[in-house]
Amino acid sequence: MSSGPALVSILRQDSYLIASVHTALDDSEMIRLRNNLVEQIGRYRSNGVIIDVAALDVLDSFGAKTLATIAEMARLRGALTVIVGIQPDVAFAMVQLGMGTAGVPTALDLEEGLAYLNARVPRRPVRGPLGD
Amino acid sequence: MPPPAAVPPTPVPTAAPLPDVSELTVAPGPARSDGPDPDARAGSRAATEPITHLIPIVRRIVHARLGGDPLADDLVQETLTRVMTAIDRIDASMLEPYAISTARNVLANHWRGQDRERRNQHRALEIAIDGPSDSALLAGEDRSAMATALSKLSERDRALVLAHEVSGVDTATLAARDGSTPGAVAAQLSRARAKLRIEYLLAAEHVELPTPQCRAVLLALSAADRRRQRQLDAARHLLQCNVCAQLSTPLLARGKTSDDQITVGISVDADIVTARQAARELASRLSFSATALTTIATAVSEIARNIVRFAGQGEIVVELLRRPRAGVQIVARDAGPGIVDTQAALTEGYSTYHGLGLGLPGARRLMDEFQLVSEPGRGTTVTMTKWDSR
Repeated sequence: MSSGPALVSILRQDSYLIASVHTALDDSEMIRLRNNLVEQIGRYRSNGVIIDVAALDVLDSFGAKTLATIAEMARLRGALTVIVGIQPDVAFAMVQLGMGTAGVPTALDLEEGLAYLNARVPRRPVRGPLGD
Repeated sequence: MPPPAAVPPTPVPTAAPLPDVSELTVAPGPARSDGPDPDARAGSRAATEPITHLIPIVRRIVHARLGGDPLADDLVQETLTRVMTAIDRIDASMLEPYAISTARNVLANHWRGQDRERRNQHRALEIAIDGPSDSALLAGEDRSAMATALSKLSERDRALVLAHEVSGVDTATLAARDGSTPGAVAAQLSRARAKLRIEYLLAAEHVELPTPQCRAVLLALSAADRRRQRQLDAARHLLQCNVCAQLSTPLLARGKTSDDQITVGISVDADIVTARQAARELASRLSFSATALTTIATAVSEIARNIVRFAGQGEIVVELLRRPRAGVQIVARDAGPGIVDTQAALTEGYSTYHGLGLGLPGARRLMDEFQLVSEPGRGTTVTMTKWDSR
């Protein structure tokens, strides 16, 4: 990770991972987010992932594709992903651009996202990371 | 209604019925310009009464042409002042058409003034331009460079430059001597100066121009001739030609760069974010909605990514347009491999790097105008515009 304030923080809540994006991300930072998340799903045996993109200025084709990739990779690793916090302006631009995160569950905000996961995957306490 | 104490013989009742409601709702605009003295206010308010209903229409006319220009409100005021001074001479029913044509005249004047300023800019800058070379003449090397540069000018240009710059003969006298006009002499002087700057640079830096196009491009840059620069595709040349890129730095730094324009160099991922944020910030000076700003930023993001992926290096120029309408224009330029089949590249789902194939067609959908010009082997230019609809 580069020095300076973290661009993304990934928090653990029992068996869920909550990734909050704090600022605009460029392509390589999106890729890094993807790799970190997928790696942590295995490490913490997570079964739910929430990605909060409220602070993203733009979700262009690459950003949207990366989110879809994360969701699919997480699914293959046994975790359900929900994207929360897509701003109305960003949503409008995404529709104009002609793409969506079709197939990836979305929710209005973190609270709704947690409710979505709680209804579908059991949140269970996790003792600690494997391999520590 | 205030008591019409000292009302001039203006036909208040006839003017009032024209725009029934709007007049009541839009009064506060000009009231601010009233004097602070309450007695004087009552009088002047009575006088402004007949024109308050004109404010929305004047404002609309001026803003439609100037957009968010801070000057717009000044011009609205100027128009209203002119209408007010003429109010005694004009029939109340003709007031609206009169205001409309006055607004147009005020705008035309404004633009004429701007053009004149631009045309005469070299006069204001003259000292700054020639100052460095004048003082540089003292140094031996610079002196010889200047001498070489002067020797490269044509006989006529050299005589002209020397007469004007060294002997201080003004353009009117020079024009009379040659049987020409001061304007023509000034234009020729400015061309000669542009040439001189280039020859001076070449002599001082001891460089040879690698391609035949170099001189023409540098000349267009030195003369700040935007049309010629566009004709020659000067910006692309600078991306391709290192010699010119280096030589042009002092030439470009000379002219006042407009603060309505930002250029972002694009080579790595992080530049994509820089470019889209610069575009958003510049566009936010107009009255774009937040949604439109995000739309613009998204389009910039897409085309900036194309530069990083396919060309490796390029630049994005974001420029605010004032005429014919307010808007933002984005020019993305690279000297990459170019696109062989531009038609296919604009087709949905056409992707060469496992993307969604949304880059170009998506950006086209996001913007109001979109143009893709590509020459295989020479590079690609995307020009796109979003008009400010408010």
